Amino acid sequence: MKLVAGVDIGNSTTEVCIGERTDDGRIRFLTSASRTTTGTKGTVANIHGIKAALKLAMSKIGRDVSEIRLVRLNEAAPVIGDTAMETLTETVITDSSMIGHNPSTPAGAGQAVGELLSIKNIGRAVPGTPYIFVVPKQYSYEKVASAINQAAGHLDIEGVILQADEAVLVYNRLEKKIPIIDEVAYIDKVPDGQLAAIEVALAGQTIRMLSNPYGIATLLQLDADETKAVTPIAKSLIGKRSAVVIKTPNGNIRENVLPAGEIYLEASKNTKINLDEGAEKIMQAVADAGNIHDITGQVNTNVGNMLARIKQGMSSISKEQHGEIRITDILAVDTLAPVLISGALAGETCLEKAVGIAAMVKTQQLPMQKIAEKLRADLNTEVVVAGVEAVMASLGALTTPGTKLPLAILDMGGGSTDAAVINERGQVIMTHQAGAGELVSMLIQTELGLADRHTAEQIKKYPLAKVESLFHMRMENGQMTFVDESIDPRFYGRVVLLAESGLIRLEEDIPMEKIVQVRRDAKRKVFITNAFRALKKVAPDHDLKNISNVVLVGGSAEDFEIPEMLMEQFANYRIVCGRGNIRGSEGPRNAVATGLVLSYRGEQR
Amino acid sequence: MIIKKPSIFIYTNDADEDFLREICAGIEEEGVFYEVIPRENANLDTLAFEAAKDSMMGSGIGIKYVDAALQMRGIPKGRNVEVYHMPTYEQCRKLGANSARAIKKMPFK
Repeated sequence: MKLVAGVDIGNSTTEVCIGERTDDGRIRFLTSASRTTTGTKGTVANIHGIKAALKLAMSKIGRDVSEIRLVRLNEAAPVIGDTAMETLTETVITDSSMIGHNPSTPAGAGQAVGELLSIKNIGRAVPGTPYIFVVPKQYSYEKVASAINQAAGHLDIEGVILQADEAVLVYNRLEKKIPIIDEVAYIDKVPDGQLAAIEVALAGQTIRMLSNPYGIATLLQLDADETKAVTPIAKSLIGKRSAVVIKTPNGNIRENVLPAGEIYLEASKNTKINLDEGAEKIMQAVADAGNIHDITGQVNTNVGNMLARIKQGMSSISKEQHGEIRITDILAVDTLAPVLISGALAGETCLEKAVGIAAMVKTQQLPMQKIAEKLRADLNTEVVVAGVEAVMASLGALTTPGTKLPLAILDMGGGSTDAAVINERGQVIMTHQAGAGELVSMLIQTELGLADRHTAEQIKKYPLAKVESLFHMRMENGQMTFVDESIDPRFYGRVVLLAESGLIRLEEDIPMEKIVQVRRDAKRKVFITNAFRALKKVAPDHDLKNISNVVLVGGSAEDFEIPEMLMEQFANYRIVCGRGNIRGSEGPRNAVATGLVLSYRGEQR
Repeated sequence: MIIKKPSIFIYTNDADEDFLREICAGIEEEGVFYEVIPRENANLDTLAFEAAKDSMMGSGIGIKYVDAALQMRGIPKGRNVEVYHMPTYEQCRKLGANSARAIKKMPFK
């Protein structure tokens, strides 16, 4: 009766499995557990997480860690994943010339044209000229309304721009109704004396004049050349409920293309590719290049800095020389990032083209022996480094009911997507690909413009719902759920995440449909691309048709929608594909740790 | 038939005039109707609770002296959605806006 523990150190989690060798030489599984990996995978800092996981597993069966007679560590693949993001275009407004935003409560409807006039200069106004009033927030709505009502007799006031959120309050007190736009944060930047056009959409509609270049030309009397110059303004105002366009003599709005740079692939066939070409071309180049030795970027360009930063970061945590760190695979993904427009007046953003890159860094052999020695001293028990990760994962995956050899596994973790094929003779072919769960989180964060990565991680993990009243919410699939106890008013009207521990409120005001779409697209872009890439590399004759069974394992296989997405895609190739269920009970996790315990039995024979 | 506008009820008991005005402004900016009804000898929790119960829209505000509370129908008395002692004018506006947003099913400010 000997207790054996298998320990799998991953990029993001450390998993353990504990089994018992019975007298007749069979293995009986007792318990398992999972903990966050402490430190970078393959460093001595991992020990802390390993011990915590072992303790947790043993406490589940009411026994002590000291009873473990043998610990088997995986020979972790010496690859570590990292991600980076770079925008390729930027929009700049010189001499601020537009405000297009969605205050929740503008007032009035229609458009107006006039000379901008600050309320403090009302004395300078002359009869006969149309004006648009500009009001900073220190003026109360009552003052503004009475000033306009008094002036209405002799002055021609066509519209109002307010800094405070008081459009309706002013509007309700006006005798002659005019369109009013509010919540313009940087009102001091609105230039006095220039000609401007404002528009407030009818309820339930979006603006029509200012989102149309000819509409702007009509209102501001522009010639053909000027109309061409305002086209980007009109484009960026599409879909808004209110907008201001100011005609400034030298005003301009420009879309710059940043010098993105070239990627150099040092491979069996050296290639270079420009980042501008887009993700699809880059991935084609990577696929055509053959065995990649290292990937670098053009010096002093965005991509050059991005790749250098990844290597820099890796060398500082793994303490290896800069020259020894090589990027052996990248996954590029096209994306759009909302970026603050420089020169804008109300904090407007513009969707800029960006590219997200996950890189896989190959290091020297990871110092697993050092971890083993340290663990041996700490636990006072036998510790061995046993077996290659992919082989162990395959062994573990085979404990899924309904599987047989030959078998392909797709291990989707946090940092990398690994694939392996194991045939009837027990031979294993494997590959590691850059890009997995962490790249998905980064894409979600960028596309939704979230402040922190943690929120993006949560959006990735949990389904969404909208709290519609204190007693019911609508799930993202349209289903309604009612609750007995009233929902906390903090969640009222909000989009929430349905986590195991309860509801999580999203601070950002983004429609649920948009979040769902971004989340699903991010998962597709990363996992479907990578699943095909990885399986093609390991499939006999590089043909997917030669694979009959795929078992999905690893943290991202636990996801509530990724396995279904892959199943749909693989169905076209007549491949049986599904989420693994290790030992018939563990789900897709714990494959490597289980494999490590199982392989012990094989070695004993 | 009694025809009543669907409105937010504000029950007051010796309410501070400035606070009341700012709260009403908050509701008005959101475009919702309100009615101010003075009450006597009631505490803050009761004012807010009763206002929410009596409002056709299920959203009510109670103001007593310099305290203000927002309530929604269905929430037990005393568990106010928002409550302030000596609020700033900005907080008053927010309280008013939120009582309107409760009806419009929009996220609170």
